[in-house]
Amino acid sequence: MSLTDLMSMAKPNMESRGKLLLRLGGRELVNCFQCTKCTSGCTALKLLELKPHEIVKLVNLGFVDELPSSDIIWTCATCLKCVQRCPQKASPYHVIMALRNVAVEREAKVPDAYMKAVSQILETGLAETCQKITTREMKVLDREGLKLPKINSPRESFQSAFLKALEEK
Amino acid sequence: MARIGVYVCHCGLNIAGVVDVEKVAEYAKSLPDVALTKHYTYMCSEPGQQMIQEDIKAHCLDRIVVATCSPRMHEETFRRAVAEAGLNPYVVEIVNLREHVSWAHSSEPAKATEKAKDLVRMGVARARLLEPLEKRKVPVEKSVMVVGGGIAGIQASLDLADAGFKVHLVEKAPSIGGRMSQLDKTFPTLDCSACILTPKMVDVAKHPNIALLVNAEVASVKGFVGNYEVTVTKKPRYVDADKCVGCELCTRVCPVKVPDAFNERLSEKRAIFIHSAHAVPKVAMIDADHCLRLKYDKSVCGKCETACEAKAIRFDQQSETISFRVGAIVLAVGSEVFDAARMAELGYGRYKNVISNMEFERISDASGPTSGKILTPDGGKPPKTIAFIQCVGSRDKRFHEYCCRVGCMVTLKQAMLAKEKIHDDVKIYVLYIDMRAFGKGYDEFYRRARDMDVDFIAGLPSEIHANPDGSLCFDVYDKATSRLLQVRADLVVLGTGLVPNNDMENVSALFHASRSADGFLLEAHPKLRPLETAMAGVFLAGACQGPKDIPDTVAQASGAAVKAVDLLSRGEIELEPLKAFVDKDLCSGCRICESVCPFVAIEIKPELVDGKEKPRVEVVEAMCQGCGLCSSACPTGAVTMQQYSSKQILTQVDAALVEAGNGSGGS
Repeated sequence: MSLTDLMSMAKPNMESRGKLLLRLGGRELVNCFQCTKCTSGCTALKLLELKPHEIVKLVNLGFVDELPSSDIIWTCATCLKCVQRCPQKASPYHVIMALRNVAVEREAKVPDAYMKAVSQILETGLAETCQKITTREMKVLDREGLKLPKINSPRESFQSAFLKALEEK
Repeated sequence: MARIGVYVCHCGLNIAGVVDVEKVAEYAKSLPDVALTKHYTYMCSEPGQQMIQEDIKAHCLDRIVVATCSPRMHEETFRRAVAEAGLNPYVVEIVNLREHVSWAHSSEPAKATEKAKDLVRMGVARARLLEPLEKRKVPVEKSVMVVGGGIAGIQASLDLADAGFKVHLVEKAPSIGGRMSQLDKTFPTLDCSACILTPKMVDVAKHPNIALLVNAEVASVKGFVGNYEVTVTKKPRYVDADKCVGCELCTRVCPVKVPDAFNERLSEKRAIFIHSAHAVPKVAMIDADHCLRLKYDKSVCGKCETACEAKAIRFDQQSETISFRVGAIVLAVGSEVFDAARMAELGYGRYKNVISNMEFERISDASGPTSGKILTPDGGKPPKTIAFIQCVGSRDKRFHEYCCRVGCMVTLKQAMLAKEKIHDDVKIYVLYIDMRAFGKGYDEFYRRARDMDVDFIAGLPSEIHANPDGSLCFDVYDKATSRLLQVRADLVVLGTGLVPNNDMENVSALFHASRSADGFLLEAHPKLRPLETAMAGVFLAGACQGPKDIPDTVAQASGAAVKAVDLLSRGEIELEPLKAFVDKDLCSGCRICESVCPFVAIEIKPELVDGKEKPRVEVVEAMCQGCGLCSSACPTGAVTMQQYSSKQILTQVDAALVEAGNGSGGS
């Protein structure tokens, strides 16, 4: 391969890149000319240093091996600003999601929060746990205290369908 | 019995490097009616042409097949050579061995040679049926209509008028000058736009060969190359243009205030107004949509009429229709500026201090709303920090995919103007993707901007926020430093690009000029015929063909003018004889050909058959471009394409289906 990243001595992996592009349904979502508009507006940049334009460039050059095992791809807050505003209709968001799926496939370390979310959905059918609220009188109430109906746990058919969908992805 | 000469060209190694030219020539000898075959390094060279001419005489050849490059390259060359040797130029058949064979199949020489043989066999079969044709001459009208009075239309009109042609210059606005008259300075020399444009505008008005029609639009165009009949609608301006002296007494008394489009709506004008400080003609006009007298009735107002000392106000003026004949048309309808409000994240239209680069021009112009002082629209103070954001609406798949070709240079110019006019200490940030300074003297101009301490940040902001004091704030990730920078600016100038004219659709329909995917008018060939449309006699100048800066616009306008001169100077034009021809006895009058003809060359001429009037079709030869659509669409076979008749084509198909080396076509 004619390219070497001298910072990490990494070489492009065109095969993995090809597979990633296939997952993205073609070249269009990485058709980027590096205007950095996505990074300028990225919700996750200031706190977590996610640079969408850098990820897209790394994929374009073929440096795709390190990305799925890095923590950075899990920092995207999926606000979709980059998708809305990209002048080239490239979509760093979709690229990041594809990399996450590669990470799961390779059984790379997935942040705990994501695994917790999966078990949460399996158990309750909800993406978030039911929170308690504090009233102006400083009373802490749960759903029962607010006289809201009880949420039943999901049916077994939901759980099997959810697991199946997860595996397919 | 025809006597055919077959010539196989090597084209250096372009053909001979792949195709075995000797074998092809040898094979051609075996074909019926072939009297002679030769192969040579460059058939198009002088010795090559001479060889054909000598052979025609020595061997009494009456048909010539040249197996060489594309006919677009050298068909004309060989036709001329053959004509010089005394044959009709249309008995030449070109077989394309370069683009269709050697370049396409460079990896398979053996198969390429076989394909070359097949094509030569087909060419010989068709050559036998070629008929001699004569070119026709038609007289032309020695005058030109120029549509659009911007710098492109002005330049083309002056060049044509100086060459001795009568010019009708039609302009939609009440004054000529166009987009350029709104600009303050021009890059890369920073000369003042008005100083170089106004003298030309005056020249147009004074030139004896130019008839200036302002406030007018083309209503219809009929006829064909060299002989167009045009009607123009001249809208009423409610002022007698011959009497008005442009003293502006009327504009002072008019009670109605309207946003001034010439100043990009940054200031107000009156309902009776003069287009701009440098307007040509400098004649007042009444805006009928806002004038109280014209909107309501006589009793309401009439102050301008009382104030006018020249007695030039005419509330009863009507629109006029003017018709004339011209030989050629130059389209110079220009372009418009992208409406940045469509790009919601930048806040244009919501925040007053986010302005377009066109608005900046007006603010910076001495005759503009601030008399040339650069002040923020909200607050009216000179800005301490200005941010320029590039590629607004251009290079953006959501709006326009092309590069606007002027935005980078406009921003460099405006940054320099701000440095000069406000203060040397004013902070200027230019936010860009790529800096495109490609023209003559342009990169030096870019260097000059850097010398003046203009800061360039390689990156675009995602969104702009407003502060309570009217200033603006945004984050931008700078590629060079890998930092997220926060910029606070008093004024944000958007580098809005050029987009096709709003009524481009109309223009395209009126002149049968096609448009390219980007919406601009399409040239006949992107490299070799950039000044012409596909319609003969209709030429293109300036930004209506694609975004352009002033130097390119002027160059194209002069070029288009010369193209029109070239067409009209001889007083008559030769028409290619490759036209459609209608057999009246076969024509059923179904008019399918009329609906498919892209050149409006089909005319319906009713004919009396057995006492009944029946539609019959005729081809206007001067309009027909020989595309053949009508011929293939005709259900009764009444339309024949000369040189490409069904018989000639089917014979070629038959020859293609015979395998080389056997059957009637082979040896």
